[in-house]
Amino acid sequence: MAVSILGGVVANRQGCETRPMAQDELHDWDAEFEAAARRPLRTRMRYAFVRTYKPVLDDATYRSFDSLAEYRAWCEANLPSWLGYGRAV
Amino acid sequence: MGARFDYAQAEEIRDVFARHGVRYLFLGKSGAILLGFPDTTQDADVFVERTMANGLALVAALRELGFTLTDAEADEIARGKDFVQLKNGPFDLDLVFAPDGIETFADAWRRRVEVEGLPDIELVRADQINQAYERVVKKDVRYRFVIDMASLEA
Repeated sequence: MAVSILGGVVANRQGCETRPMAQDELHDWDAEFEAAARRPLRTRMRYAFVRTYKPVLDDATYRSFDSLAEYRAWCEANLPSWLGYGRAV
Repeated sequence: MGARFDYAQAEEIRDVFARHGVRYLFLGKSGAILLGFPDTTQDADVFVERTMANGLALVAALRELGFTLTDAEADEIARGKDFVQLKNGPFDLDLVFAPDGIETFADAWRRRVEVEGLPDIELVRADQINQAYERVVKKDVRYRFVIDMASLEA
């Protein structure tokens, strides 16, 4: 199966930055993707999943929402902006 | 807060969900990582078919995995509340019953790929790139997309 990454934009969760992706940046990203895809899944997962405490978000053991829109609104209203869960535009 | 999600836990999900007959797909950033996307994330997201039978099977599977659910929480999951965040088990898990931009579970299931037995979405067809791009820019989703290049026409 051939896959590639959606290119052309950098959407930065932290800074809410969106900007066109430079060609060399896209090339580097593709190279990273190809390198990662060659690694066994077990290895990819070892380095892809990280645990970092996120204030508020990690302070409850269970949350549920009637829609993803409600969840996003909750994030915007309750989470520190630097966590990057707010909208860029 | 649960432990870091790892390969063994993905295998546990696969095996326990299969034993209980749970219909699900990995999606979002965790799904993209299964496909080789070189990035990091904190938890796994699964798209679960919203039927009462599947919901009840899911609750039983989650309890077997070690998630502690009250009766009220189990009821919400069984009924398929749109989005549920679980941080009361061996790892953090997001349950998505109604992801944006996906009409039905059956539609997603048809487009799934399996990575070492882990059913995965979301692959985006080439003709959906513009829609996916807009969703990233607007931050309607908090992950990027993986495009199925096989769907590109020459």
